[in-house]
Formats: sequence, structure tokens, C-alpha cells
Amino acid sequence: MSLSRLQTATDILKQRTRAYEAQAYQAHRGMALGDAGASQPLALGASAVDHCLEGGLVCGGLHEVRSALARDIGAAAGFALGLAARALEADRSGRSGVVWVSDPATRVDGGGLFPAGLTQYGLDPSSMTIVEPGDLQGAMWAADEAAGCNGLAALIFQIKGNPARFDITATRRLMMRARGSGVLALILRQSGEEEASAAATRWRVNTEMSGADDSLERGVGAMRLSLTLERNRAGRTGQWLLAWNPKVRSFNHAAPHPASNRVSGANPPAHSLDRLPAPANRRDSSGQMGQVLDRRQDFGRVS
Amino acid sequence: MDAYPETPPVVVTDTVKNAIRIVALDERARARGIRLNQTLSDARALVPDLDCHAADDESNRALLLKIAGWCERYTPLVALDAAPEAERDHGLFMDITGCAHLLGGEAAMIADLEARLRAQGFHVRLCLADTPGAAWAMARYGQDRIIAEGAHAEAVLPLSLSGLRLPPAMVASLGRVGLKTIGCIAGMPRAPLAARFGARLMQRLDQALGREEEAISPIMPVAELSTERRFAEPVTHQEEISHVIAALAAGIIEPLERRGLGLRRCRLRLFRVDGHVSHLDVQTARPLRDAKMIRRLFEERIAGLHDDLDAGFGFDLIRLDVVHADPFEGAQTEMMAEMMAHHAAEQGHDALVDRLGARLGLDRVQRFVLADTHIPERSFGRQPIAHLGARSRSGSGNAALALIPEAPGEIITRPLILFDRPELMQTIAEVPDGPPLKFRWRGVSYEVARSEGPERIACEWWRDGRGARTRDYFRVEDRQGYRFWMFRHGLYGRETSDPAWYMHGLFA
Repeated sequence: MSLSRLQTATDILKQRTRAYEAQAYQAHRGMALGDAGASQPLALGASAVDHCLEGGLVCGGLHEVRSALARDIGAAAGFALGLAARALEADRSGRSGVVWVSDPATRVDGGGLFPAGLTQYGLDPSSMTIVEPGDLQGAMWAADEAAGCNGLAALIFQIKGNPARFDITATRRLMMRARGSGVLALILRQSGEEEASAAATRWRVNTEMSGADDSLERGVGAMRLSLTLERNRAGRTGQWLLAWNPKVRSFNHAAPHPASNRVSGANPPAHSLDRLPAPANRRDSSGQMGQVLDRRQDFGRVS
Repeated sequence: MDAYPETPPVVVTDTVKNAIRIVALDERARARGIRLNQTLSDARALVPDLDCHAADDESNRALLLKIAGWCERYTPLVALDAAPEAERDHGLFMDITGCAHLLGGEAAMIADLEARLRAQGFHVRLCLADTPGAAWAMARYGQDRIIAEGAHAEAVLPLSLSGLRLPPAMVASLGRVGLKTIGCIAGMPRAPLAARFGARLMQRLDQALGREEEAISPIMPVAELSTERRFAEPVTHQEEISHVIAALAAGIIEPLERRGLGLRRCRLRLFRVDGHVSHLDVQTARPLRDAKMIRRLFEERIAGLHDDLDAGFGFDLIRLDVVHADPFEGAQTEMMAEMMAHHAAEQGHDALVDRLGARLGLDRVQRFVLADTHIPERSFGRQPIAHLGARSRSGSGNAALALIPEAPGEIITRPLILFDRPELMQTIAEVPDGPPLKFRWRGVSYEVARSEGPERIACEWWRDGRGARTRDYFRVEDRQGYRFWMFRHGLYGRETSDPAWYMHGLFA
């Protein structure tokens, strides 16, 4: 075999390798984003967030909503339910219903959903299916099943802390099933730390003081949420102040409260180490009791 | 009796007419001279080492029900002997019409039944006859095991009158006038007998002789369809069982199609070699006619069992019963593509509910239902979807939820998260009815920045009685932006002098 022939063969091989790499990259990107071609991304309604997400959340994908403290569960549930309400309204080819699967550990101090509150929040309680398995394994199985169901608009999997069993393999399985079916799969992690997972995005939700109410001097105004996009596989992260409008079922940007010392957007993200992957092999800290966490946080804020 | 020479004779005692008497005994006790209805003290005088047990009717009945369940391997029509006279008489009726040929004829069936029951340690007396009455009499007082067709009347005539399922008092008084056998009264004029001893006597006679129809009431509702498979070699492995389920399910699809039905509830019965019978039920949200889905539901059901299906030495009969079926709505009614897609999506949702229910338990998959009350924690409940009607099952038409009058609005007055039990807090608030200023909940202090209220929710005196208190609800926001729903329990001065505060919910 002559040298030129050998070179041609090498070129062909190189070309093929490049093609494979491109393919693999596409596949990886598709995995991270969900099947972007198949389903329309779910826009939140707030322009800056949607821009950062390149159109919105990927529907056939897994997303994590996290709250650091037990008492933050109201805000975190508010964000997750808002997303679910939007997914329901988007009504992609006859999808209906939201399945809410909860790990039994969350019932201890988390409370339960209140139908009257859901209605006022813009979510029809009759579209909710509540699944309460007896143990975490059953809950994970139920979440897997729901994520793989074609007829479903959204799945919310409420979990407490960072149980060792719900590891990166479990989240990847959940993500794959959601990608196959096109369900918006949300992990609602209550009083949990950040942990590596297969989720396309991870959000931390904090409450924010409401704006002034025009009609009532000391009244409680419209709710606001301080959202931190801690991790985004497909793009940038960020922090925003959002309000939920139940009437049109849409998030929109809210002006910061004058008394609040936080400024949306301008200040650096709360976690400067956002881009570093969180460890996957953390030992099992199965969600410390809410009280203890609360007290620690309380001291931190007072000082 | 020789098998266990060292164990003492066993008797069962009960209080009859203010004396502890023997109501059942084993062969060894009989051999040592103990008789039925003897008082226990007499029996003890004869045999001091008597092993006696108090009669336990409930356990007896439970055991009999289990045997009846096992007997369903021969016929679906198995009934308990429910005659009031047969209180202590543990009998079963089986209607084997159309079943005997499946087991090689009547004689083979009876022999099989007896051999299997004996192997389980039961002493049985069997008789096969044209009428339940005749079979009852012959099993207890006759010799023959199979009475030929039409021969039941001659067979029962020589038997004692006790064979007619009559109260003992009536048998005794008939005996006093010299009527000892069934034949004695069969030939007598009916009217005087009926006038003297009641219509019951004539009815029992007619039932035994086949002049009057008698229906038995099976313990299990008879399945609409049923298929089964028997094994010469018992199956034990999960995969084998799974294969059998698939084969059985495939077998019922065709009959379902022929009848235009779809399966709603079916029951799998696994007959273990040692006589134990396991049941597994699955339900579907809408009529189903898919063998693969049926198999999958049962696999989920088996996977969801707390301990695995205990196969023991294996199952030698597996049966699939269609307990309930509904008309199957064919797909041809919805021709439009969009409708089809919607239908498929809904099917996906319903199938999900079925699968979740099959594995986790039906009561763990729930939907909200509303109650007509203003007390928040009572205003709603969660009901298993399987127990809701088919109509309210589908998302849109939930009749119970139509109660909610409020449309989503700008002002939110109800929290997203509600605590099942309101949690007690320490609170500083203005008296008599001002909003809270500071409070301590779950060990953390909060300062109130904004509040709205009170929203007064009166107590339900018709339910809670006199001591019930009014609740004043407040929406409260603290300095960090947490929004709470809390209430003061009791009106200051009127209902209590020291109202307690409770945390009840969290807003978004």
C-alpha cells in the first residue's frame, strides 16, 4: 500500500470520527435539552427568564425545584404549581392532568395541598391526581411511571432532603422517561441541598416581601418569588424576582420591594460556585428536621 | 389413632343448657368411651388426661370459608350450609352441574375431592345427589356416595327424620308419635302434618324429594367469564406465573369481543398445592380488552405485595375470573384524528391510574373531593380514584368539585399548603381582635411586617358542640417575605379570656 493511499484511508477515518463525534454531541445536547424538536418549550411568561432559557423550559425533561428550608415549601410549591398550571394550559395534543407524587417523609412537617388555594392560584384541583405511596421506593416507582405516561401534562415529585436512594441514576431514569413521553417532570425538593442530578435545570426558590397593596395600607400585596437558576445544562444561570398572575396563569417580572436589600439581576448570583458540579456521592443526609435548619437560618439572618 | 399414641384424646366443649358438654371429639376419645353431649366432668372421670378446647364458632366459620374457597377449584357455585338448624353442622353445598366432565366424571371428581381434603387433614363425608336436601341427608345418615339420577327419593326414604334439616325439637316430637323415618311422613296426608308441625316440615320434605326447587347462594359472586389452567407439575416461579397470566388473559379476549364487553375488574386465583388460595384483584378505569395490559397490571399487583407471592410448594391451578365487565366503546366512534389523539392521551392517563393503583394499593391514588363546609380542614377530602364514579374520574367532569365558586383572581386568600392539624404557636397580638405582631412557630421567631384580617369563620356548633370556638383568620407576611395563614381560636372575652393562636397554612 502506498503512502498516499494510507493517508487517504486516514483522512476517511478522521472524517468518520468527526461525524461520530458530532452525532454524539448532538445526542448529548438532545439529552440535556430533552427532545427539543418534538415539543415546544414551556415559556414562563417572564421575558428575561425565557430569554435565558432560550424560549422556556423543555417539556419532555426533568427539572428540579429546591427549597433550602422547610418553611420555604410554600414558595417552592408555588413555583412548581405555576409551571404545572402553565403546562396544563398549553394543552399539548390532549394532555391533561397533573400527578403529584409525594414521598411519605414530606408529610411529617410539609402539610398537604389545599384545593381552595389551588383554585385561587389558577389550577383546577380536579385535574390533580395525588399519589401517596407508603415508602420512598414506591414513590420513586410511581414518579417513573407517571413520567412515562403520554397523557399527562406534568408530574411533580415531592421529596424531602437528599435521600441516598434517589441518586443520579434514579434522576437519569426519570429524565429518560420524561424525554420519551414529553411530560414536564418536576422534582420538588423540600429542605434539600444541591446535589448532582440529571435534571436539565435546578431552581432555588426563596420568598420575597410582597409589594405594597394599594387598597390596604398594611395589607399583604401580590406574592413574589426570588428565583435562582442554580444550574442550567443548556445555558446561563441567573437570578430573578418573579410574581405569579393566577388570572392569566403566567409569571412576570416584579419590581423589587424598596425595603428589600436584594436587587434582582444586578447582584452576583448567590452561589459563585454555580458552574461547579455538585458532588454525586454525598453521604446520606436524609433531610434534617425542619426546626433545626430553621433556627440556624434565623440566626444567620438576624446577624 | 395409632399414629400419635402419646397425645391425649381431643374434645371440644361448649356450654349447653348450663353445663359444659362435649360437642365434638376425635377417634381416640370415642375409643375410650366418651360420647357426644356428655358433660365434661363425666368425661374427665372416664379419661383424666383429656385435652379439651372451648368451641370457637368464629374460627370454625373462617376455616369453613377457606375450605369453601378452595372448593371453588371444582365449581364456582360453592355455598355454606346456611340453614339455622345447622348451626354446629359444618357443611358445604357445591353445585357441580356442567363441571364433572372436566374432571373425568362424577366418580372421579368425588374421589379427587375427598383425597385432597383428606390429605389436608380433614375428615369429610360426601354425597352427590339430585337435590341439595337429599345430598345433605345422605352425606350424614346414608351410606352411598353417589345417588344415581332420579334415585334420590328412594334413597332418602329409609333415613332418619333428622336428615330433613329440621330443628331437633321437631324431630323429637315427631319421634314421640312414632314417625321416625322420612318414609313415614312421605306417605302421610300433608294437611294434618302441616297443621301440627308447621309448613317448614313439608317444605324440607319437598326439597329433599325434589318436589320443590332449592337454590344455593354461592359465597362468591359468579364471574362473568372464567378461564383456568391446571398443572400436573406445580408452578412456583414468578416468570412462569406471569406467562400463565398472559396466556389466560389472551384466552378471555375473544369471548369479551364476542360479547362486546371490556374488562373492568378481574380476579386472579392461585390455588396452592397445600390448599391455600390467594386472590389478587385488579381494577381498570375504563373497559379494557388488551391481554398485555392485563398481564402488566397483575405484574404490578404482584410487585406491590408486601411479601412476595408465597408459592410454597407451587400452584397447581390458576384461574382468571372476569368479575365485572362493561360495554366496550369501540374506537370507531371517534374517527377524527384529533379526537383519537385525545382519546389515546386519556387512555394513557387512565392506564397510569390503573397501574399505580394495582401496585401501590387503590387507596393511595387519590383525587380531591369537596365538602359543604367553611372549616378549611373539613372543606375537602381525598378519595381513592377507584372509588369515584366513572364520570367524575375524567378530569373535567368532577361533579363534587363544581362546588368551588371562586375563579382565580388577583387576591389570594387561601394558602397552597394546608397543615392537616393546625399547629399551636406563641403569639403577641393586640387584644381584643387585632392582628398578630410577633409569633414563634416551630421554634423560630417571626416579626410581622404586613397582615390582613380577620376573616371570621364561625364554628360548626351542630358538629362540635357547645365548647366550639370561632376562628379569626389572618394572612400574615413576615419581614423576610414568608406568607402565613394563621388564626386566633376563640373570641376574646366572649368565648375565652386567653385565645390560642394556630398556624394553618403557607402561601406561595
